[in-house]
Amino acid sequence: METFVIGLSIASILFMVALGLAIIYGTMNVINLAHGEMVMIGAYTTVLATKHLGFNIYLCLPLAFLVTATFGLIIERTVVRRLYGRLLDTLLATWGIALILQQLIRIHFGLGLFGIEIDGLGSDLQNVPVPAELQQAIQLFGANIPVYRAFVFVTALALGAITWLVMYRTRFGSQLRAVSVARNTAAACGINDKRVNMLAFAYGSGLAGIAGVLVSGFKTVSPDMGTPYVVDAFLVVVAGGVGHLLGTLASAGILGEVQSFVATWANDVYGRTVLFAVVIFILLFKPQGLFVTKSR
Amino acid sequence: MTYRTASIIAYIAFFAVVLALPLVLNSFWTNRVAIYLVYSICAIGISMSWGYAGILSLGQGLFFGMGAYMLAMSLTLAVPENNPVPQLMLLNMEPNAVRDLCCVTTGSFLWIPFRSIAVGMIAGIVVPCILAAGIGYVMFKRRTTGVYVSIITLAFALIGQLLIINNQPLTGGFNGLADLALLEIGGFEFDPYGPSAYYAVALTLIAVILLARYMLTGRIGQVLKAIREDEARARYLGYDVENFKVFIFCVSAGVAGLAGMLFTITSEFATPSLMATSLSISMVIWAATGGRASLLGACVGALIVNFVGSLASESATFQPVWPIILGLLFVFVVLFMPNGIAGIFKAFIERSGRTERLGEARPSGKTERADKSERVQTELTAREA
Repeated sequence: METFVIGLSIASILFMVALGLAIIYGTMNVINLAHGEMVMIGAYTTVLATKHLGFNIYLCLPLAFLVTATFGLIIERTVVRRLYGRLLDTLLATWGIALILQQLIRIHFGLGLFGIEIDGLGSDLQNVPVPAELQQAIQLFGANIPVYRAFVFVTALALGAITWLVMYRTRFGSQLRAVSVARNTAAACGINDKRVNMLAFAYGSGLAGIAGVLVSGFKTVSPDMGTPYVVDAFLVVVAGGVGHLLGTLASAGILGEVQSFVATWANDVYGRTVLFAVVIFILLFKPQGLFVTKSR
Repeated sequence: MTYRTASIIAYIAFFAVVLALPLVLNSFWTNRVAIYLVYSICAIGISMSWGYAGILSLGQGLFFGMGAYMLAMSLTLAVPENNPVPQLMLLNMEPNAVRDLCCVTTGSFLWIPFRSIAVGMIAGIVVPCILAAGIGYVMFKRRTTGVYVSIITLAFALIGQLLIINNQPLTGGFNGLADLALLEIGGFEFDPYGPSAYYAVALTLIAVILLARYMLTGRIGQVLKAIREDEARARYLGYDVENFKVFIFCVSAGVAGLAGMLFTITSEFATPSLMATSLSISMVIWAATGGRASLLGACVGALIVNFVGSLASESATFQPVWPIILGLLFVFVVLFMPNGIAGIFKAFIERSGRTERLGEARPSGKTERADKSERVQTELTAREA
């Protein structure tokens, strides 16, 4: 039971990171390797906001969303915009962006060169204080469940629900889906596809930022923390079926649980090894992913 | 000057510079440049599979690391203290285990063939090749293409790295294999800081370039390019697309394994970081900077990026900024120089060749087609003359 709960919380984080990536990859066909850095920036936003502004972790959620969405917007406007239709090139360029963002944090956005150092940035590891009510554990079905993990899970579900509402119940969502199915036709129907791209990229990045806030609660924060997330999340997206919200949810759940159970049964390294092996098998034998979006 | 002559001149000039460099470098820089040349060989491997066949492997580091480990195992056993059993196994063995390579730790028998240096050297190429053939066969027979190939190879590299880190008693774990003996063949010792190891690397590089060029300018290269441009069409023309892809993937893995062995010779260690995602992606970036579809370009790209990188890390002001410059370079190359340095070189040669022949600057405002027919005409007149 405890293993299951750990699996759920791994899955929740994976889901939040993957959700943003799924929107970006699914609708715009852009592989954003800087997505992990959005998680990292979200975590650093939390570090800075708790240190300097006295924010608690709840207030950091919307703040991190705004900050990372802004970063995403800038990246889309400056680089990604020029690369639509060149899938592998987006992968390379965004890796470059990831390097830049990591280093910017290490050198305090360049101020470190002039001897100005901001508390909370730099290459050192950072920690975020977690409010007391989240540090407790509750008893459920005879198992000890840390409240923080439950909080992560609930947030992930809420974000999933919000994203579903945005995608399927708003004007922007239907435009986004239209663009992802047939960009040119959508544009011909009067949808401003560039604006849709921009907003989708920003929204996806924002989701990663929120995941970053939650990650900062149980992991140390460091400039290169994002890279493993982007790889895992990308595996989740392709394994679940591109452009399919439920598929992403399901594959995040499966992969999170697989990792958690194998990790308890053997060790953490085997957990990850099996995770990668499962993804390789899914890709080889069901390249469209577990859930296939019907296309006409 | 046509592009063909220009590129032959470029190749010869590059070989000459590479061969002459140890005459002017001190031992530290000889070693550094030798390592950069090893990276160049990696970039050639990328250029072969990505530039020619359009297979972007993000797991090239796996094959590189395997090559490095194979030779490093042999060189570990070549150290007298590591006989009959390497120190790293003695540190990790069960208290009452037999002190023999067959069974001192689980799986230690895998080391037995590596008592011979020759086996290590052959395995360094063959094992990555076989693994790549296996991965490639399954992948390409299932008609996996494009970004999925990249992701699968990336996942394999991650698995390889995790397994090596996790099997501490067998592989040295996170610290890898260090304190290696120097490679010695027939009484001749390759000193990583002297010209001997340098020339081993340089001559291998030249041989790899020439062989790859020979192979890729011929029929195989043409078919691979056809596959890169339109896989379905190549298939309908009757070519066995899958086998060609498996073949080039395998060759490129072999080249990476070879580079890995040379890395062990020049830097005297093998660690799991050689299989890290960042190194695999860096290799792709080197090739992209130099020009993915040009062997020499990929080579020069690797040299330049690494050389500038190490210059930057020497200086205290530039060291923290270097990764940012590198990141900007990636973005810049992808956005504005899709064919890399080689592409610029080609454009430059073609333009200057044209103006030379016309005897005046290129007239502006003409359409591309008029321009082209003009070029054909001048070429024809040049040939007649």
